[in-house]
Amino acid sequence: MDKKKKSVLVSYLVSAPSLTLIALMVVFPILYTFFISLTNMSVYHWFDFTIIGLQNYYRALFVFDSGFLSALLATVLWTAVSMLLQLVLAFLLASALNVPKLRPRKVYKTLLMFPWAMPGYVSILLWKTGIFNSEFGLLNQLMEALGRETVRWLSTDLSAFLCCTVVNLWLALPFMIMIMDGALQSIDRSYYESAILDGATWLERTRYITLPAIRPIIAPAVIITIFTTFKQFDVVYLLTQQMGARTGSGFHTILTYAYENAFVTNNYGYSSAISILIFLLMLAFSARFQLREEGDA
Amino acid sequence: MKKRMRETLGLTALNLFFIVLCFLTLIPILYALRVSLSGSNSLLSSGLSLLPEEFTLSNYLAVFTGEDILTWFGNSIFLAAATVAISLAVSVPAAYCFSRRRFPGRRLVLKWLVLLNSFPAILSMFAIYRLLRPLGLVNHRLGLILVYTGTMAVFSLWNMKGYFDTIPLEIEEAARMDGATDLQVVTRIVMPLAKPSVVVTALMVLIYVWNEYIYATTFMTGEANYTLAAGLYALQATEMRGSWPVFAAASIVVSVPVLVIFFLCQRHMTSGLTAGGVKG
Amino acid sequence: MKKLCAILLALVLLLTLAACGGKETDQNSFVIWHDKEDAVAKVLEDYLKTALPDYTITLEKKTSLTDSLKLVGNDPSSAPDLFLFAHDKVGLFAEMGILAPVEDLLPAGALDAYLPMTVEAATYKGTVYQLPLYFETLLFLYNSKYMTPEMAPETTEDLYAYMEANTGRDRFGFVEQHSTAYYAAAWIHGFGGEILSADGTPFPDPQAVKDALRYHQKFVALMPGETEYATVNTLFLEGKADSTIGGPWMVPSARDAGIELGIAPMPTVDETGLPLAPYSGVQGVHVLTHAAKDKPEAVKALLEALLDPTVGVELALASGCAPARSDCYEDSAVANDPMVQAMRTTAEIAVPMPNLPEMDVMWTVLSNLLTDVNLSGKDVDESFDEALAEAENLIANMQ
Repeated sequence: MDKKKKSVLVSYLVSAPSLTLIALMVVFPILYTFFISLTNMSVYHWFDFTIIGLQNYYRALFVFDSGFLSALLATVLWTAVSMLLQLVLAFLLASALNVPKLRPRKVYKTLLMFPWAMPGYVSILLWKTGIFNSEFGLLNQLMEALGRETVRWLSTDLSAFLCCTVVNLWLALPFMIMIMDGALQSIDRSYYESAILDGATWLERTRYITLPAIRPIIAPAVIITIFTTFKQFDVVYLLTQQMGARTGSGFHTILTYAYENAFVTNNYGYSSAISILIFLLMLAFSARFQLREEGDA
Repeated sequence: MKKRMRETLGLTALNLFFIVLCFLTLIPILYALRVSLSGSNSLLSSGLSLLPEEFTLSNYLAVFTGEDILTWFGNSIFLAAATVAISLAVSVPAAYCFSRRRFPGRRLVLKWLVLLNSFPAILSMFAIYRLLRPLGLVNHRLGLILVYTGTMAVFSLWNMKGYFDTIPLEIEEAARMDGATDLQVVTRIVMPLAKPSVVVTALMVLIYVWNEYIYATTFMTGEANYTLAAGLYALQATEMRGSWPVFAAASIVVSVPVLVIFFLCQRHMTSGLTAGGVKG
Repeated sequence: MKKLCAILLALVLLLTLAACGGKETDQNSFVIWHDKEDAVAKVLEDYLKTALPDYTITLEKKTSLTDSLKLVGNDPSSAPDLFLFAHDKVGLFAEMGILAPVEDLLPAGALDAYLPMTVEAATYKGTVYQLPLYFETLLFLYNSKYMTPEMAPETTEDLYAYMEANTGRDRFGFVEQHSTAYYAAAWIHGFGGEILSADGTPFPDPQAVKDALRYHQKFVALMPGETEYATVNTLFLEGKADSTIGGPWMVPSARDAGIELGIAPMPTVDETGLPLAPYSGVQGVHVLTHAAKDKPEAVKALLEALLDPTVGVELALASGCAPARSDCYEDSAVANDPMVQAMRTTAEIAVPMPNLPEMDVMWTVLSNLLTDVNLSGKDVDESFDEALAEAENLIANMQ
């Protein structure tokens, strides 16, 4: 009995530093945002705010209008499309990189990591000005070389959605490939050898050996990426919605929508209420789709 | 003979595929490279070519001489190294603990750790300021390190726990039978096996710190305290507004160290499991 | 659950334990935040060093200056003592309660020597919160290689005729950041409209705004489909656009690019007889409340040093902007600088950016409206009604 107690104590002690950091930098901001959402903190009461109860929530519900609903729908679609493409492409590429005897794989891997090595705002700026710009972007120069009409790539909802998806994929794939690659390498080769002896095809091997084996390993990264994609702000905002550089598209994720319709007011109480509501919404989503907690029993 | 032919053909095709893919992936970067190497301050100039019309290194010279780039580089290295070290020091034990031991509250914590990711952290800045201020850590590197380790802690814990779960318990038990202590089991057996996951986690933390600029620009004051990403961000907001080539050069300069580290780390990213065949 | 409780408990403990380390106020040292180019900062730093040898003055560059001030504004341990910024956030910071009125810290009548426009810009609800140093406005710039001074358009119809004649494949008669609020404001003012009235009403004259938007559309049609800075800047610098409306920050790079730059007065709108009147931004020094309270004498000495016309002249020449003090214009370097003189002339028609906190949301509302009308091709009336509703809603939600 004592021994068991001691073991539990040791467990707590060992994980305490990590959990304390999480509590400070992740949990505390959530609690603090919740606290602020109950106050009237705004430009007019910046330091002398008082608690006003649920008023902000009542007002925040008005933000959840038809515009918000379509942004929510677009966000769900955006997340689904991005994740599907990411997972499939990363899996295929990582598998190809693991083909035995592929000598220059290190070079390929390093080059494919390049998008990840740049600060996000830099690469998004490169894409916006270097590739999509309607006057001198590479895409339109290509169109001109082919004798076609030039296109304003980021100007309509659909094309902006596609362009944002491409850029997001470009930014996120390196990480996913790396995770998949690591996971693939953890599988024991002998499983495949016996499967091949039994005459299993590539598809069968993938389905019955590879996927079950890598799932628990990639699960954390995938789940975290799903949330990151859902909460994506930079890609959409910097490509299409930035002040002074808007392109005419109406494609919003819930965060860019909330930014434009609430956060710009400098009303911290009100904005916090909206953040909390979005948080609850995402929790509900997670529950609805019963995200697998983790790969353990 | 025929089989070998087919294999060679397949490999050549695969190599070709990857060369094309790398080229496509790198187009935006090659574009930046071209702009950074061309003399005229131009976005348009030479059309589709990815080679600069007139070759010059003057933009790179401008990056290194005009700004405190070496100071920023030093700051970035310091922050990245400290954050990676602390992250691993706190996360490895916690991840191992969550993977191997059973204790009350474990499942609850694990479950909530995932869900915490769904909070839109766009407004977190204020809370974090409220936290750092009484500790006297605003405009202090330690403050940034704390923020970075905290932000990456969930990922680190989870990612390594997932990997630890796949290491069969039998290996550890065998070692214990041979009289190894807990500490020995972890350092001699588990860590070598989990090396790929540890390296991946470390890289992830490193890249996050390297590229982060929002906290760095908000909490640090004065150009001498900037990191590379923050300095570059400040520059594109003021000085480089008109100078696209210098900005392009700077963005290449920022990325190269990460790539070098990545290239050097790859050796350690292959699993010990496959090499030793311990599973079979 | 127990675990979570423990964490929370630890957190509370940590926070209460960590006592606020009070920093001694050093009477003779200052920190000034700014977000300017190095050249401008250096002029100010050098001047202050010679003018106030007894004080230690540090200029610190801060990229996200306004956001950082929102965080640290009333915290002497991490906030600066003063900051150098444009006047348009005066209302926001004054409402937050972090700005000290500067008139109390200046000798009586010191502000009489300033151009009235600059003092007006620095005044919020009857109190002056900024000591102006220099100001900037947009200018009508042209490339003398293509447009001679005689060809510079006097009216907007002249401009349109010029654009029609000179816009073609890879070439533009005139470019501007057409769907960016700061630039489009000139057109709205040219129709007698306003974005935010002095009492905080959004678009007080709806008809004027709609007229301006409708009239502006035919110009937009002859400009590139992008409204961001890089496009406009590059087209002009590459000699692919004959003329533009731009700020002083475009001038050094234009000179570097070997463009013979001409400056013309803003064209007038034929229909109203009013010139296109751009916004002006007054850059100046703001004093934070804690500094005014803890070291009033030192702050007074500093502000007094900044009243000297020489620093105004030097700053104006370094930044390519115009000095805020009228006596600076007696200086021969200023009198002979065509840029500064042009800005001085434009200042007579320019409208200082509103400094009310409400303006923060109007930037977003107006840029949405411009995007809808110019880039998405939506109906002017409908888009305007939407924008007005959005503005009213956002302003209501600021409280």
